[in-house]
Amino acid sequence: MISLQSVSKLYNEGRPSETTALSGIDLEIARDALTVFKGPSGSGKTTLLSIIACMARPTSGRIYVDGRMTSGLPESFLAKERRRTFGFVFQRFNLIRGLTVMENVLLPTAPLGGNPQADIDRAAARLDTLGLGPKANVAVEHLSGGEAQRAAIARALINDPPVLIADEPTANLDTELALRFLDIVAGLRAEGRAVIMTSHDARIWGSELVDKVVSMRDGRLDEGTS
Amino acid sequence: MTGWLRRQRALADYTLAALARRRVKNAGLLLIYALVVFIVASATLFSSAIRKEAEIVLAEAPELIIQDLVMGRHAMISGELVEELVGIRGVSGVKGRLWGYFYDRVNGANYTLMVPLDETLVPARGEAIFGEALPRTRGLNWDKAPLFLSRFPGDLFRLNPAGRLESDSALVSADLILIGEEDFRSFFELPEGVYTDIAVSIRNSREIGTIVEKAGRLLPHARLITRDEISRTYQKLFSWREGIMVVLAGACVLAFAVFAAEKASGLSAEETREIGILKAIGWDTGDVIAMKLWEGGLISIGAFLLGTVLAYLHVFAFDAALFASVLKGWSVIYPDFALTPMIDGLQLSALFFLTVLPYTAATIVPIWRAATADPDQVMR
Amino acid sequence: MILQTPILALLFASALAGLVALWAGWFSFRVLRHWDVASGSRQQLTLERSTQLVSTLFGFVMLIEIATLFLFVFNADRMAALFVGAMCAVGTLNVNPYGFPALYLKIAVFFAAALWLILDRLDRAGYDYPLTRLKYAAILGIAPLVLASAATELAYFANLKTDVITSCCSKLYTPANEGLVADMTGLAPANALWLLANAGGAVLLSGISVLWLGRGERLLAFFGAGLFFAALTAIVSVISLYVYDHPNHHCPFCLLKREYGYFGYALYLPLFAGTVWALGAGLVRSIPCGDSLAAVVPEAVRRLTVLSLTAFLLFGVAVFWAVARSHLILLG
Repeated sequence: MISLQSVSKLYNEGRPSETTALSGIDLEIARDALTVFKGPSGSGKTTLLSIIACMARPTSGRIYVDGRMTSGLPESFLAKERRRTFGFVFQRFNLIRGLTVMENVLLPTAPLGGNPQADIDRAAARLDTLGLGPKANVAVEHLSGGEAQRAAIARALINDPPVLIADEPTANLDTELALRFLDIVAGLRAEGRAVIMTSHDARIWGSELVDKVVSMRDGRLDEGTS
Repeated sequence: MTGWLRRQRALADYTLAALARRRVKNAGLLLIYALVVFIVASATLFSSAIRKEAEIVLAEAPELIIQDLVMGRHAMISGELVEELVGIRGVSGVKGRLWGYFYDRVNGANYTLMVPLDETLVPARGEAIFGEALPRTRGLNWDKAPLFLSRFPGDLFRLNPAGRLESDSALVSADLILIGEEDFRSFFELPEGVYTDIAVSIRNSREIGTIVEKAGRLLPHARLITRDEISRTYQKLFSWREGIMVVLAGACVLAFAVFAAEKASGLSAEETREIGILKAIGWDTGDVIAMKLWEGGLISIGAFLLGTVLAYLHVFAFDAALFASVLKGWSVIYPDFALTPMIDGLQLSALFFLTVLPYTAATIVPIWRAATADPDQVMR
Repeated sequence: MILQTPILALLFASALAGLVALWAGWFSFRVLRHWDVASGSRQQLTLERSTQLVSTLFGFVMLIEIATLFLFVFNADRMAALFVGAMCAVGTLNVNPYGFPALYLKIAVFFAAALWLILDRLDRAGYDYPLTRLKYAAILGIAPLVLASAATELAYFANLKTDVITSCCSKLYTPANEGLVADMTGLAPANALWLLANAGGAVLLSGISVLWLGRGERLLAFFGAGLFFAALTAIVSVISLYVYDHPNHHCPFCLLKREYGYFGYALYLPLFAGTVWALGAGLVRSIPCGDSLAAVVPEAVRRLTVLSLTAFLLFGVAVFWAVARSHLILLG
C-alpha cells in the first residue's frame, strides 16, 4: 500500500555542508505487514521513516500511499495525509509534560473538530486495551518506561490510522517489556494495520511476527526478506 | 461550522493548559501588558467622563449669552436691552444675570458670586449658599459658620450659610457663592438696572443661528456667545489633553509590542520541542499558528479586560488619582467630585485597536517562524 | 490635528495596513515571477512556506480594514460635536476635501478585502495551490488601494481644523443641488421603492436559480451590485424620511445616531454583507479552478449564495420595519 520510487533526500542542498541521507530508494510496503528497517546509525533509517510518514518531503522521487501521491503535496495537505494514515511512536516517546495521559492521547484529535465525547470514548477504550485505563488522569511525568510507551502508542492510534510507525520502540525497554511490545504489535496486525519499525534489536528482527526486514547502509537499501 | 467551532475550542483548551504550564512567564507578560492598557484606558475614560460632565452641565445653560464690550473688554450691560431682545421671534426667555469674581486674599483663591436665575434658590438677605470647596479652603468647620469676605483692608462682609451645593455639581460649582440680588449689588456697589450679561433661551435649536444674527444687528457692539461654542471649546480642550496622554502611552504600547515580539521569537527549547511533537502527531502549520494566535489572543483579552477594569475603578472609584492633575489643569481649588461612571463603545473599540493590534501584529512573524519548523527535527 | 484616541487607533491601523500591503505587494512580484508548483526546487519550497505567512498577515490586515470602516464612520459621527455646523458624520467629513474620498476609498478597500478573503479561503482548500497566482496578482491590485486609503485618511485627520465652518447634511442632501447625490435625493419615493423592489426581486430570482439549478452566479453578482446602488438611492431618497419622520431630512448618516436607535447599522451591515457575498459567489464561479477545487467550488458557491440572500432579507426586513412603524405618510 505504500510505494516509494527513486526517493532521495539531501540536506543543505547546494551548500558545502550538503549531505545525502537517502539515495535511490525503491520500496513496496504491504498492508497488514510488519516491516522492520535495520542498519547502523547514520544509515538513514529515521530519515526514511519520517519521509514515509509525511513528516518531511523527499528531494526527488515519488511516494504513493494507497495510490495517492504524497510527495508533491503542500504542507497543509501533507499534514492531512499524515494524520489520516499514520500514527507515530517516537524513540523517546515525546509525550508532552504537564498533561495527563488522556490529554496527550487526545492531542491528535484537536485540529479535526470532531465530536469531543466520541474522541474521549475512543481514547478510553484504547487505553483499556493497553492496560492504562486506571492511569488515564495521571500526569505523564509519573509513568514508568513501559507505561509511557503504551501511552505513546495509544496517542498514535487515536485517529485510527491504517499504519503505525515506531522508531526504535524497544531501545529503552527490558526483555519482558520488549516482548510485551511485540504482543501489542501482533494485536495491531490482527486489526488489519501495517506496522513499520526501525530497530537495532535482534529480538525484533528474529521474531516470527516480522514479515519483511529491510537492511540499510549509507542511505541505500540492502533488501532482504525473512 | 460546528467542526470549525470544535477545532477552535480544542485549540483554545490546549492553549490554556499550555499557558498554565508556563505560569510565571505568562503572568509577567500579562501584567505588563495590562499596565499599558491601564494607562491608555485611564486617560481615555477620564477624559470622556469629563467631556460628558461638561455636556450634561452645559445642557442646562442658556443657548445664548450676550455681553457688552467697552474698549474690547467685558462691561456691564443695560437692563433696557432685555425688552428689545424679548421681541425677537423664537426667543423663549430673556433674563439679566448677575455674577462676578472675587479674589480672596486669605487663601489666594478666586470665588464666583452669583445671583441664581432660579428664584427658588435665591437665599434670604445676608445669607449665601456655598459651593463645596468654600468651607474646605476657608476652614469653616461647622455648619453654621459664617463666611467673611474682605473687599479692601478693614472691610468685612458677612454671609451666613443658607446651605451648601452638592458635590455632584462640583465641577462647576466648587467655588460658587449664591447670594440674593440686593446683597450682590451692595457687595459690588452696583446700581440698579445693570447686569453682568444677559441670558437668552431659545426654543428651537435650529434657529439659534438666525437669532444670533438678529441680536447681533440689534446690539452691534455686544459679544454673543452660544452654548455650542462653549461646549466645543471644552470638548476640544479635553480631547487634546487626552490625546497627548494617549500619544505618550502609545510610546509605551509600541515599546511593549517590540518586547512582545522579542519574547515570541525566543522560544525556549521546550516550546520548540512541543511544537515539533504537535506537528509530528498530525498538526499542520496552520493549526500551530492558530494555537499560537489563541495564546496571544487570550493574553491580549486578559490584559485588556484587566487593564480596562482597573482603569475604570481608578477613574470612577478613585477619581483618577494618578493623572487627574495633568488632565484637569492648574488651579488653586480642585473640585472634589465623583465623575459619573460611563462606558463608551467607541472609546472601548478604539482602546482595543490601540492595545491589542500592535501586540498581535508584532507577534505574527515570530509565531509563523516557530510554527514552520520541520517536524522531523524532533526525532533527532 | 485632533489628538483623540479613536483617531490614533484608526491611523495606527491604517499605517499597519499600509506597511503590510507594501511588503505583501513586493512578495507578490516574487511569486508571480518564480512560482512553479510542479518544480520541487528549494526556491519553490521557500516560496510556499512564505505564502503561508504573507497570506496570514495580509488576511489579518484585511480583517482590520473591514472593522475600521465602521470605526471610521462611527467616529465621524461622534466628532460632529466639535465642528461648527456639523450635526452628523456628513459635517465632519466635509471639514476638508479629504473626508469623503477617504470614506469612499475605505468602502472600496472593504469590498476588495472581503473578496480577497473569500479567494484566500478557497485557495487553501485545494491541494495544489490552485489560486495562488491569482491571489497574489490580486494583492498587487489591492495594495495600492490600501496605501491610497491610508494616505487619504492621514491627510484628512491631519487637516481637521475645528475653526472651519462645515455644512450640515441638509445642505448636501437636497434636490436643489447639482450632481448625482441631488438626483438620488430628488428621486420620487414611489420610484425609489419600486426600483429597490425590482432589484431585490432580481437578486432573489438569481439566488434561487443558483440554489436549485446550479446556474446564475454571475447574474447574482450583477444584480447584487445593482441592489447595492438601488438600496443606497432608496435610503437617501425615501427610507431616511421614514426613519426620521420628516419629509425633508434625507441624510444617510444621521441614521447612525443614537437618537434613531443606531438604525443605520441595521440597514448598512446586512446590505454591505449581502453585496459582498453575492459578488463573492459570482467571483468564485468565474475564476478558473483546477481539479483540486472541483468538489469544493459548488459547496462554496452555495454557501455564499445562502449567506447573501439571508443578509439581503435582513435588509429588507429592516426597510419594511422602518416604513411600517413610521408616522410619515408619503404614498397614497
